[in-house]
Amino acid sequence: ILVILSTPIHSHRSIPHSSITSPANRRWVVGFEMAISNAAGDPAAGNEGGGERKRKRREDPPVAKWRTEGEQKTYSSKLIEAIRRVRRSSAAEAATDHSRSRAVRVAADRALAVAARGRTRWSRAILSGRKLKLWVRARACRRKPLGNITAASASYSHTTRKSKPPALERKARVLGRLVPGCRKLPLPTLLEEASDYIAALEMQVRAMSAIAEILSAAGVAAAEPM
Amino acid sequence: MSSRRSRISEEEITELISKLQSLLPETRSRGASRASAAKVLKETCNYIKSLHREVDDLSDRLSELMATMDVDSAQAEIVRSLFRS
Repeated sequence: ILVILSTPIHSHRSIPHSSITSPANRRWVVGFEMAISNAAGDPAAGNEGGGERKRKRREDPPVAKWRTEGEQKTYSSKLIEAIRRVRRSSAAEAATDHSRSRAVRVAADRALAVAARGRTRWSRAILSGRKLKLWVRARACRRKPLGNITAASASYSHTTRKSKPPALERKARVLGRLVPGCRKLPLPTLLEEASDYIAALEMQVRAMSAIAEILSAAGVAAAEPM
Repeated sequence: MSSRRSRISEEEITELISKLQSLLPETRSRGASRASAAKVLKETCNYIKSLHREVDDLSDRLSELMATMDVDSAQAEIVRSLFRS
């Protein structure tokens, strides 16, 4: 499914006035989104005028979808299943508390990325093996002297971001590191990804809190003598 | 590619920044006036970091909870609660 969905998104990255993102293409994506996300009100369907403004379909509706109850319920049930799998696999081998917690975190992030349905970069980055990238990046950072990195970013900013003060640049870099898969993005795309990522993280926190509450309440109930 | 990117106007960036700002908790509760882009970026970074910490804490809590109980019946309980509310 993710493979299929990635096609319209790749065309989003190309020239704005292309014919690749035909209205039919966008309608398909919108239709898919409407079918799956049951409670999102009236998503981007109303926005689909004009062939040039691809950005319109990525405005508030995608962010608002993270706030719907339906989305959170779907995520919660997927997360519970993932937690069960973690529990089963950690019972088999010797697992420390930390490794179990880490496994839960990874499962929660992957479930969150799946919930994004391949429409955002951060979600695709998570699903394409975040751990390996982190490890590779950590080793590369340790080997290269910092001079290399700043020289590269200085030349990058000369070609594409002439008008931005360095303070903004620095903060944008930090933000790019925080959002998965967004290190080298230009600022507008990075801001869009960050908006969606924040809304998704908030839903993740809400869902996990609710599950923890229910589990601890159920645990208390189970502990009472029958 | 670079010529295309320079067509992204300051306005668009300002708009995205203010949309981002509206997602941040302080702004939501206080309805603050427009802050500078640098401040919004910094607040965003801090907010994402705090959300990550929360998720880590919740993962700790969940892994503890699931270790000490029967997840299958808990799962049934959760599904019931989820669909009750």
